[in-house]
Amino acid sequence: MIHVLLFASLLLQAQSVESAVPPEAATLLQSGVDAENRNDLDQAITAFRKAADLAPSTGLVFFRLGDAYMKKRDYAEAIPPLKRAAELNPDSLPVHQLLGYALLAEGYASDAIPHLEMVREYGALGIAQLQAGQPAEAVANLQTALAKSPEDPDLLYYLSRAGTLLSSQSLDKLLSAFPATARGHQALGQNYYVVKMFPQAAKEYEQALALRPDLPGLRLELGQVYAASSDWEQAAEQFREETKLQPGNAEAAYRLGDALLQQGKMKEAAEELRRSNLLRPDMPETLYSLGRAEAVSDPTAAEHALGRVIELEKQTFLAGQAYLALAGIHRKQDKTEQAAHEMQEYRRIQALALRPGA
Amino acid sequence: MTRRDLLRLLFSLGLLPAAPKLKSESLFQAGPLKGVDFVLRNSPTSRKYLIETMPGGVALLDYNNDGLLDIFLVNGGHVRDPMRSPLSFDRHDPVYWNRLYRQNKDGTFTDVTEQAGLSNAGDVNYGMGVAVGDYDNDGFSDIYVTSFGKNVLYHNNGDGTFTDVTAKAGVAAGGWSASAGFLDYDNDGKLDLFVTRYLDWNVENSKTCGAERPTYCPPGEFPATTNILYHNRADGTFEDVSVPSGIAAKKGHGLGVAFADYDGDGYTDIFVANDAIEQFLFHNNGNGTFTECALDSGAALNENGKMPSGMGVVFQDYDNDGLPDLLITQLPHEPYVVFHNDGRGSFSAQELETGFGVLSGKSSGWGIGLEDFDNDGWKDVFIVQGHVFDNVQMYDSSLRYREPPLVALNRQGHFEKANPGSDLPVAGRGAAFGDLNNDGWMDVVTTSLGERPQLYVNRGGRLHWLTIILRGVRSNRDGYGARVQVNGQVRFATATGSYLSSNDKRLHFGLGSAESADIEIEWPSGIHQALRGVKADQFIVVEESEHL
Repeated sequence: MIHVLLFASLLLQAQSVESAVPPEAATLLQSGVDAENRNDLDQAITAFRKAADLAPSTGLVFFRLGDAYMKKRDYAEAIPPLKRAAELNPDSLPVHQLLGYALLAEGYASDAIPHLEMVREYGALGIAQLQAGQPAEAVANLQTALAKSPEDPDLLYYLSRAGTLLSSQSLDKLLSAFPATARGHQALGQNYYVVKMFPQAAKEYEQALALRPDLPGLRLELGQVYAASSDWEQAAEQFREETKLQPGNAEAAYRLGDALLQQGKMKEAAEELRRSNLLRPDMPETLYSLGRAEAVSDPTAAEHALGRVIELEKQTFLAGQAYLALAGIHRKQDKTEQAAHEMQEYRRIQALALRPGA
Repeated sequence: MTRRDLLRLLFSLGLLPAAPKLKSESLFQAGPLKGVDFVLRNSPTSRKYLIETMPGGVALLDYNNDGLLDIFLVNGGHVRDPMRSPLSFDRHDPVYWNRLYRQNKDGTFTDVTEQAGLSNAGDVNYGMGVAVGDYDNDGFSDIYVTSFGKNVLYHNNGDGTFTDVTAKAGVAAGGWSASAGFLDYDNDGKLDLFVTRYLDWNVENSKTCGAERPTYCPPGEFPATTNILYHNRADGTFEDVSVPSGIAAKKGHGLGVAFADYDGDGYTDIFVANDAIEQFLFHNNGNGTFTECALDSGAALNENGKMPSGMGVVFQDYDNDGLPDLLITQLPHEPYVVFHNDGRGSFSAQELETGFGVLSGKSSGWGIGLEDFDNDGWKDVFIVQGHVFDNVQMYDSSLRYREPPLVALNRQGHFEKANPGSDLPVAGRGAAFGDLNNDGWMDVVTTSLGERPQLYVNRGGRLHWLTIILRGVRSNRDGYGARVQVNGQVRFATATGSYLSSNDKRLHFGLGSAESADIEIEWPSGIHQALRGVKADQFIVVEESEHL
């Protein structure tokens, strides 16, 4: 990331850094620039060093010396001359930019931050803040940088890391300062859930519920813990409670419908899934489950729901599953040609999914 | 009116027995088999070689025709850690022998392995499963043992001894065989042999999965392989017809196998339970060839549209509509599968509607039987369970390596969990079903890794039963492939099903309160035979009649 962003326009701007340079030092400075142009960085550094000895108050000389070290990727050696350049020219943005990068590259993230702030280098600033343990600030600055370069994988990587650190810090704080709160247990429950420690997760959620039984979302999450461990009856119980707490929550209705479906309670499942579809129409997962729930009792309604999944999803895995379910309905109805066509579509979508790069 | 409608009508008129209330006590008394000291030695290693978590089978057969079921148990072998070439599983060591136990009149068992000539399992063969059938129609049950390595066919000499006839018969297979079964696919009166094979696995391509928490790799990590069909030439030899029959056209991860004529065309079809890919339904075309049609028939994917990790399978009629259905065990977090036979050659996944799915979400199932354990006229389910990974709790703390079995009673097509009679958790694998004490109530023998087999003796009750022993004349002597209907219930004659195991070939029917039965038999030869008003509560031998 640092290498990508470095140096782009610094040299052009550097000319404005300084005005008066002693003649002998100016000659050495020019000699250094010439050597740099020949990619002879060692020669350039020698020349710039001699120039700096002759003109110890000339910021441009130190800037060029630091810049040569940066080009050589010797960031440690670049820092002293760049610091000196910054002392001599405290308002020079190119100097601060280069110094900020050098410090960041050498791991002095906290020291780099004020320099990068001054030049508004949001990407590098976000990285420095992440490394300095300021994830909230890092997230903000990396998002600003991403607004300009939304496809930059480096920025996305650091944003993801900053987000994780921010989450972890918040969780640590929550757990250390408020361990016995509903949110504390909820957070622990989520952690256990992620690592598939379902019984432990359920226990945390139960404790959270004991403290705040009306906290929206808690039962939804607990239901998902039970669903993940195939305890469908308990999952349905929790989802049902969530729907009472949040009657307008389409997800809770969908999850309740799906849990009922997994228990083979097709009629009840269909009712709940229809309700979910009314609350938030055209959710493909809801429609797919609805189609399956209605396949036996109301094949026409099932066909409608599954057909809508195909309209919405077109060639995704779920569309393939909808074709498969439709084929099952039509096979039962002895509509063999239709079923055969749907199986063909199912196979076509499966083949697409198996294609390299799909 | 469909058969199902007719049965419902009969039920409403009181002509079929009412289902008894679910008893809180178990149908079974679980315990060890008296006189059986066999331990299934799978030899788990740090390398997590996949073979070591997969054995082993059990067969219930009457090898000496004394009317009592005997028990044959397949052992694994000694797996070195690490394995080295040339392979040896130390099967010459008696602790790794397969074992045959003869049942005595008092219900105890005597180890007759050595005197029966069954002690040499072959050092290079790691044992898996067993199939039983009278392939030469001499009236004595023969034994086929599958392995990772070579399979062995033991011919029953009729004098209490067996002879290894593998080389002559040409049925050694090779690779990794799993379940096997005898069937007469061409209705020529001679039993043929089908062998599932699991993976193209060997020591060289073996690997361990799980990085920091090493465990067994899923089957997808290894190449798929073909199943084998051997045609019986009727001269003591078999011909490998896997390629010309079309069986070898499909590569899979075959574990379980079951047979039935699902479309009523008079030819036995073959279903293979594949692990983590689509299941295979080989439709018998009646001309020596098969067409794999599971996906188009609706018998390849579960009700959630996913590929089951098929392990064990049974192909019998659970809802008394006269058509054979499929029940398949698999890994947790996807329900055990029910493919209901809808007629016209198609199936629909119905594990959710039948209540079967919700009973199985957290469990890993292997051996399975669909038998009428309470004799109420509806076939119930017994499944032996236990996860593949011995360290599964490190991956998902809601799962268990060792589990008790699952018993589910059939309430007119809907399954309800019942007390299995033992909550002892084991790494269950094989299961065979039969009436060990000839009391008219079906018992179960199970195997589990590293442990002795377990017997589940049916406690019995007051309801009536009938057990039919088929004696084919024009058809194969075992009558495998016959469709037998008793008071509206149907069974397809076979010893094959479950996982790696072979069941009592006698056909058991629960009759409920009925004191007599009408029997109709469709023999593989095409002969139709009917018996009316047969008294209940007996074993009846039915010899195939001479006339169509």
